[in-house]
Amino acid sequence: MNVAPHMLHRLLTRAALLPHRGIGSARATAENLARQWQKIFQDGGVPEAKESSEILIAHALGAKTFCGLAGHLAGSPVSAGQLDHIETMARERLRRVPVQYIIGEWDFLDLTLQMRPPVFIPRPETEELVGLVLADCPELKQSHEPRILEVGCGSGAVSLALLHKLPQARVVAIDKTKAAVNLTQENAERLHLQNRIQILHHDILSDPAENLLALGPVDVLVSNPPYIFTEDMSALDPEIIRYEDHTALDGGPDGMNVIRAILSLSPLLLKPKGAIFLEGDPRHPDMVCKWLQSHPELQLQLLSVVKDFCSKPRFIHIRRGDQSSWS
Amino acid sequence: MLLSVGRCVLCGVRTVPRRLWDKRCNVITGVGAAVLCQRTLSDTRRPPGLEELIRSDVWNDYLKRVQQWGAGAAGSEGGDQQRASSWRDGEKQGWRTRHILPVIKEIRSKEKELTELQQLLADENEDLKTLANAEVAACLEEILNLKYQIAWLLISRDEVDDCSLILEVTAGVGGQEAMLFTAEIFDMYQHYAAYKNWSFDILEYFRSDLGGVRHASASIGGADAYRHLKYEGGVHRVQRVPKTEKQGRIHTSTMTVAVLPQPSEINLTINPKDLRIETKRASGAGGQHVNTTDSAVRIVHIPTGLVAECQQERSQIKNKETAMKVLRAKLYNIKLEDETNKRQSARKIQVGTKGRSEKIRTYNFTQDRITDHRISKSMHNIEDFMLGDELLDEMIQALSDFDDYESLVEIVSN
Repeated sequence: MNVAPHMLHRLLTRAALLPHRGIGSARATAENLARQWQKIFQDGGVPEAKESSEILIAHALGAKTFCGLAGHLAGSPVSAGQLDHIETMARERLRRVPVQYIIGEWDFLDLTLQMRPPVFIPRPETEELVGLVLADCPELKQSHEPRILEVGCGSGAVSLALLHKLPQARVVAIDKTKAAVNLTQENAERLHLQNRIQILHHDILSDPAENLLALGPVDVLVSNPPYIFTEDMSALDPEIIRYEDHTALDGGPDGMNVIRAILSLSPLLLKPKGAIFLEGDPRHPDMVCKWLQSHPELQLQLLSVVKDFCSKPRFIHIRRGDQSSWS
Repeated sequence: MLLSVGRCVLCGVRTVPRRLWDKRCNVITGVGAAVLCQRTLSDTRRPPGLEELIRSDVWNDYLKRVQQWGAGAAGSEGGDQQRASSWRDGEKQGWRTRHILPVIKEIRSKEKELTELQQLLADENEDLKTLANAEVAACLEEILNLKYQIAWLLISRDEVDDCSLILEVTAGVGGQEAMLFTAEIFDMYQHYAAYKNWSFDILEYFRSDLGGVRHASASIGGADAYRHLKYEGGVHRVQRVPKTEKQGRIHTSTMTVAVLPQPSEINLTINPKDLRIETKRASGAGGQHVNTTDSAVRIVHIPTGLVAECQQERSQIKNKETAMKVLRAKLYNIKLEDETNKRQSARKIQVGTKGRSEKIRTYNFTQDRITDHRISKSMHNIEDFMLGDELLDEMIQALSDFDDYESLVEIVSN
């Protein structure tokens, strides 16, 4: 019974082609296919075997979720073209490509965003980050033209969700990789939000800060920076480590590299009393608190730490003092 | 004499109808807005049971009582028109009286004219008699019309009639066959929603191995969605030879439909501490460390044990919002039923808990027959019925008519 993993994988991939090509073709309904591929994914060690198989099939049949496909649709026959599409996607999934990259899109709050490797795929926690910004800064809804800066925009999820919720707002979104800048631009255009967003290819760790300062101060600075501790990187799932941009994940030895850069620059970037919202590792709130205590000159005050839906301390709300640092 | 009568008849032919027509218009414009928003179709429909009721003495007695009550209230209450649109129970009677009284007055004046006209029938002039006869008939018709108008005014709609709803289907007795039937019924309502131009968003869908459904729910919204679907709650029974049966025996299986109104504004406070929100992300470091696609959310309301789930969206927060809406609707429904249960009622059509455990309809495939047990109505052609268009609509309309009739009987005999 000792089969080498790569051999097993090859056998399974081959077996995967059989069910609907041969015997199964007459009964190739979405439901049957979902069961077949779930089994194949399970045997192939693919995580979320059921969800993966259901989403890929729903996608091939034009629905977002298998639930949305429910009822008569799920029981009706699948065309040959759709079968090929499902098979192509499933093969990718067996190579552990994230589902979001395979189908090329995913939802973030009310928006459907394009997803393309290696740009970081937004996580559900970050939906809460947007909710927190909106809840803690009610003045954003009232002010005439609030300005928001996002550091590390990736696919553009946070910036575009904020623009969607705040019809008056303007956003400057920066990212250090060109792929992310391009994807944010593409998503902004698809959602018709491109007129209120300025997207810059800028690395906050190495590029001259003057480029940002020239844009003028903002009301809110928001970021889901790379925050994974370098030593934790090797424990990540193949989906992440093989396909997602490491620089969007690796936050340095203590996961704080970009967080420190943001905090150090923020007195220059923010208007007086401006707010900072950060997502981080559950260890970060305490670390950020200590770091701020040792940097009183920044006049930053940690207002609150908010837990995510799994009750992990995840979000940090910081406020800049009253005094202007602009001279 | 002849001249004067002739003039009178001329009056009768020419001026009376016109004068009356004007008055009727006044009634229509005065009450019209309320009538229009209350009934859209029914003004032209005359279900058989209703006509019988309207012509009965019980009905006339009721009108007399309203008139007396109105005369008594007019002195004490004065003009409180601003409350006219309120639907709270205590004011319902007042609303009815205020809107019905003008119509009753109209009926009374019509009746007076009728008596006058009937005197003319004794006249010797044949032409005059013919004219009078026609006029009497017209007068009677108008009285009947006005009585119908009162009926439509009395059939008050539930506060929640216009709102969206959550439809839940659950397989009952009968194993895989019950689950297959549950899937078919769920499809039927999905088609019915499309037929009615309503939205139909599936919230959860738990499959069985053979393509059936253990449990599924959907949020349905659109004009009068609840008013139509509220009669569908209860136990539906199927009698047929299941696909799974090898020896050709007929099985009887059941499934349950629950219909929960989902008003846009629910006056209900939920303490977040009473909620347990379950997601697939509960373990591990979370955040950037994990990339999952399972966005399903399950919320448990700890004090009541009620559960709401949603797996319809790819966004977890969206699923959570929907699950919260479902939970609110469920909690609201419990509250609503507590109130309804206080008002004991002998009606055959029950909406809510009392109806939920009752067998309301049988789908007998071997006889190609659907029977609704509440109104003893049978229809044929199950295949078409389960397409969820005209036939199902006809059944629902019959239920709605009967419900209207029962509620009228209840009102007039109190």
